[in-house]
Amino acid sequence: MPIFEPHIHMFSRITDDYERLSLAGVRAVLEPAFWLGQPRTSVGSFVDYFETLIGWERHRAQQFGIHHFCTMALNPREANDDRVNKDVLAILPRYCEKDSCLGVGEIGLDDQTKAEETFMAAQLELARKHSLPALVHTPHRDKKKGFERCIAIVRDCNFPMERVLLDHGNEETIKITRDLGCWSGFSIYPNTKMDPARMTSIVLEYGVERMVINSAADWGVSDPMMVPRTVVKLEQAGVARDRIDQLVWHNPIAFFAQSGRLDEAMLAQPARANLRETFDGNSVLRGQDPDKV
Amino acid sequence: MKPSTLDDLAARLGAEALGTLQPAAAGIQADRARLAVVFPGLPRKVGREPVRGGVTALGPGRLDLDAFRRCDLAAAWLLLTTAATEAELLDLYAHGDIEERAMLLRTLPVLPVAAVTTRLFGEVQRSNIVLHLEAGVCDSDLFARAVGHAGFDPAAANRLLLKLAFLDLPLRRVFDAGRHANPELSRMLIDLATEREAAGRPVWRDTWRLIGAAPCPGAVARLVGGLEHGDDGVRLAAAEGLLALARTDLAPFAAERLPREPRGDVRAVLQRLAR
Repeated sequence: MPIFEPHIHMFSRITDDYERLSLAGVRAVLEPAFWLGQPRTSVGSFVDYFETLIGWERHRAQQFGIHHFCTMALNPREANDDRVNKDVLAILPRYCEKDSCLGVGEIGLDDQTKAEETFMAAQLELARKHSLPALVHTPHRDKKKGFERCIAIVRDCNFPMERVLLDHGNEETIKITRDLGCWSGFSIYPNTKMDPARMTSIVLEYGVERMVINSAADWGVSDPMMVPRTVVKLEQAGVARDRIDQLVWHNPIAFFAQSGRLDEAMLAQPARANLRETFDGNSVLRGQDPDKV
Repeated sequence: MKPSTLDDLAARLGAEALGTLQPAAAGIQADRARLAVVFPGLPRKVGREPVRGGVTALGPGRLDLDAFRRCDLAAAWLLLTTAATEAELLDLYAHGDIEERAMLLRTLPVLPVAAVTTRLFGEVQRSNIVLHLEAGVCDSDLFARAVGHAGFDPAAANRLLLKLAFLDLPLRRVFDAGRHANPELSRMLIDLATEREAAGRPVWRDTWRLIGAAPCPGAVARLVGGLEHGDDGVRLAAAEGLLALARTDLAPFAAERLPREPRGDVRAVLQRLAR
């Protein structure tokens, strides 16, 4: 079963993860621009990071037959940092027009401050200008209130709900989002967020309409294999194969295809994997013979 | 009368594409920062389909339209219309993804040769992305027109052709590059060939053509030896290299090979050599 992993931070993962993902059926990944674990001190760091997302990281994914896409944004946490927030907003338009950019994200709320709200609204406007959907990060603390606040900001901005993916949901938030018309994302992340068994219960209760699952794997204690693991749990729980296929393939494609930049026919084939090709002279092989890898 | 480059590009792009491009150009002229936003979207807006039309005079030189896409011509139209500066072109390259960079490099044959041409040749020289070497150097006469301009002296041109050999792209795709053959380039190519042979790897076939056009020490032996090579393409290149060498004293080698040569195209060259 092909899988579209709609939220994974491969920038923070090792090359072996790409191989494991590929072997588990992951055909495409979407990497939202995010917080790198410590504050950046200048806009130049964002420029380099954004260009990694459209350059080296795409190349690295392709070496394992995986199509790589991204969303671009100033993340909620650094929206609070006056050293960078305005400058990052100013450089985002050019990156929103990159071919592999399928949305604006992760935007949203973290600590639920006024600055986060201001930059979330500004970036919803950015998404509107570039005809892109929005990937919204919801807070880990005081989550239910944060979800409701995110929804209120989307409404205040008059941004179309069907072009919004509210991510990092759980058993509580699905009750809020299921009738809104937006998309609901669930991050299957060890020890926090969701786990495969709880996700299975949600699918059994609510179905899979306008729902996606992801690993949100990053530099923390996380597991890029969480979507394939959840697929196994869903199968074992008797969820029909076409429902699982909708959840892990058709749904994320349908959401991000709203960008007008995602060609499902192109995804039918693995990305072109040519281990002899380099990116600006750099190779994932680090000197190894491509015929022996 | 020959149409202006802009008129020629406009005619090839058609009214629908111009309907998209003209407002975009006006927006850029009003706000130069728009160029960086408009440029990446050109493939989506005007298409990636090949233009077709074969080798054609367009702008200051010639190019093979079969290798160009609609978005490449649109990019050239946009950059000419908005009189993009060198700094703007370098910024587009520096912050472009692989496809944008290829698109920008494809515009170079349509733009006048300038400092930015040789700067971007330098970028292509440092990159190992085959697509970018093709986009910058192949399928037009830009290389031949650029040789001698500031920043692209014969030594730099030699290095770029050596890169072509390194990445195994055919010489014929760089129009008129054969005219740049010189003994120093031949030496570089023979050294690369020796290195490749020692590693058990194939040698760039056009090596034999270029060393015949401008021999250096070792060239004659390689050319004669090439007539007995197991690769059909190498034998043809070696025969053509010997023809360029124009040494009547080597005719017996061609005559001796001729009755054993299975390929018609190689035999045709050997017959001219054996006369």
